[in-house]
Amino acid sequence: MNPRRRRLAGAASILTSLMLVAACGAGGRDDDDSDGGGGAAEVGVTDDSIAIGGTFPLTGVAAPGYSEIPTGAKAYFDFVNAAGGVNGRTIDFTVKDDGYDPTKTSSLTNELVLKDKVFATVGSLGTPTHSAVVDFLNDEKVPDLFVSSGSLGWGDDPEARPMTFGWQPDYEIEGKIIGQYVAKNMPDAKVGLFLQDDDFGEDAEKGVRQFLDDQIVGTQRYTSGNTDVGPQVAALQASKADLVLAFTTPSYTALAQLTSLKLGFKPDWYVSNVGSDPALVGGLLEKFSEGKVPGDASALNGVMTSEYIPGIDAPDNAWVQLWQKVWDANGGQGELTNYRIYGMSWAYTFVQALQAAGKDLTREGLVEALEEAGSSLEGPNLAPYRYSEDSHLGISGMELVTLENGKGKPLTKVLTTDIGDAEIAEDDSGQSEDAPPESGIPDVDAVD
Amino acid sequence: MQQLVNTLLGGLTLGMVYAAFALALVLIWRSTRIVNFAQAPMAMVTTFVALRIIEGGHSYWLGFAAALVAGLVLGAVVERVLIRPVEGKAEINAVILTLGLFIVLHALAAVVFGNRYRSFPAAFGIRGIEVGDTTIALTGFGIFTIVAVLVVMGLLVLLFRFTDLGLRMRAAAFNQEVARLLGVRVGRMLTLGWALASLVGSLAGLLIAGGSLVHPGYMDAVVVYGFVAAVLGGLDSPAGAVVGGLLLGLSLSLVSGYVGSQLVALAALAILMAVLLLRPQGLFSQARERRV
Repeated sequence: MNPRRRRLAGAASILTSLMLVAACGAGGRDDDDSDGGGGAAEVGVTDDSIAIGGTFPLTGVAAPGYSEIPTGAKAYFDFVNAAGGVNGRTIDFTVKDDGYDPTKTSSLTNELVLKDKVFATVGSLGTPTHSAVVDFLNDEKVPDLFVSSGSLGWGDDPEARPMTFGWQPDYEIEGKIIGQYVAKNMPDAKVGLFLQDDDFGEDAEKGVRQFLDDQIVGTQRYTSGNTDVGPQVAALQASKADLVLAFTTPSYTALAQLTSLKLGFKPDWYVSNVGSDPALVGGLLEKFSEGKVPGDASALNGVMTSEYIPGIDAPDNAWVQLWQKVWDANGGQGELTNYRIYGMSWAYTFVQALQAAGKDLTREGLVEALEEAGSSLEGPNLAPYRYSEDSHLGISGMELVTLENGKGKPLTKVLTTDIGDAEIAEDDSGQSEDAPPESGIPDVDAVD
Repeated sequence: MQQLVNTLLGGLTLGMVYAAFALALVLIWRSTRIVNFAQAPMAMVTTFVALRIIEGGHSYWLGFAAALVAGLVLGAVVERVLIRPVEGKAEINAVILTLGLFIVLHALAAVVFGNRYRSFPAAFGIRGIEVGDTTIALTGFGIFTIVAVLVVMGLLVLLFRFTDLGLRMRAAAFNQEVARLLGVRVGRMLTLGWALASLVGSLAGLLIAGGSLVHPGYMDAVVVYGFVAAVLGGLDSPAGAVVGGLLLGLSLSLVSGYVGSQLVALAALAILMAVLLLRPQGLFSQARERRV
């Protein structure tokens, strides 16, 4: 055999293994392990502690911003623990880094359930990642609460997934709300869709097309991990879109803005709530081309997006003041950010759920309590939760805003709706007006 | 039409980066007859060195130069410390060693530089050039990329084809004992080959990072595409590497724009397999057969 050819073949086979290695990625990082069990009837619950866990991308493509979510939640749990916990039990929150890689999410969730013996998983992040473990958690009857993702899979079918609850508004209702707004207020816009190629983009597209099917001139999808979105943006430009609805993660919001600059493509933008944090996207854009792109939050000026909880742009809001207090007392390094507020907000809901479940804490009891009392829980959410026996989907609505130097200027009142052909209506629950209790810790009566 | 032009121009710039990377692989191949898979993380490390310097308030070009020097040194050190002990043994030993280095550098970079996405500045404009009233997807930095890679290719051709040093490097790579008998300082030639290759790799790292996002894994796809480009061009020929990189960049860009971005990696694999099956010596290999 030709020695050269043999060498080349060897190199090629090594290349294949290399791709495998790259796909597997480096090992995960564990935070503190909690010792579950300990005499109580329910897994992960003792007389003085509750073990919970979650998986988050602390590293990799999805890490900017999202890695801050568990730090916020942890700060709030510490705040509650310092005040004596819930029914005398402190909350031990174990965070695992899955790097937004579903294979790692699987093994880490196994670890949480089988080795760390957590009572529930809370806040686990990501659509592709959590899809890999949602059936396992339901088979094991582990409460799977407040998944940090707006996929419909977390609550549209409680019979199939009785233990899983969503938290944030799902992408379909976000799509519906912006779709209706555009149809009503910008009937001549030629709409392009820029979507992540998974449930995120699909669910949103379903909502948007309910109202905008005729106005859409082009649909482009990007694959997370491939940072060259030039061909996709060029195709949107060729379709003559003058309004792009982007359902993207923050890194891809930045890449899309950058690529549009390169191509001289200047449409109006709507960026999905999850991808529109002005501070984060501005920070990513900052160093490109040494200051030719504004580096601060003004990088997204004029971009439309949506809000469903108060954020750092409203420092006078009573909830934000509470989060600031919690972060100052229990936070780690860094400033309070919208992502930390997001983590604190679902941590608050989790504490409410524990209180509703009462002293004799069981997994079944927690799920029942959320189904019964969930829709009346008052928290930072601008619109009520949809929790019931028929739906485990989370917050029912949001308001549309335009970003101006990092602040959201309201375009609409808080609008609520549900999946499918449910109507879109202005919210009349007063949820957006409430303030947290003085102590900063909810006080929910146990359901019977 | 505009879309086609812009997709092709995007592919051209990207293809040039693959070409630069393929050039680094070709250099190591020509001077030591192994394929260096650690090329990607080595370039990543030097790019992060540049980023550190630029973030420290120094000019872009200082960071740029520092990264190239760091690449040169890193290449020499890797050869002296890690590759030298297994030289003369089966080539697969050295190749496996570079794979190990791949993983180690990744882990180290994550510890030292952090594992998150960061933006990397570009030296020239990142706005497309305006022709009439349309903007084409060719930026100042894109032009710089193309020119830089062509210049490096030219220099390499000159080195290997027309200089005494290039001849000695090739001899040392090809048959160490005969080369030694002829008075070639084989060890030095190998070190030099690694250092130069690592320098070209660093350049590729800087070019792909400019005006985009970097993190410890950002070069991993490039090592795959760079390898495909090098194989396409014949692993032996600098011009082949550049043509291979261009062909690959253009085809992947077209696949991404007109078929779907999820098929890009698959398309690269298909091209690699097609080349290995149909023309394993590559499109530009000069010597069809070399029997020793």
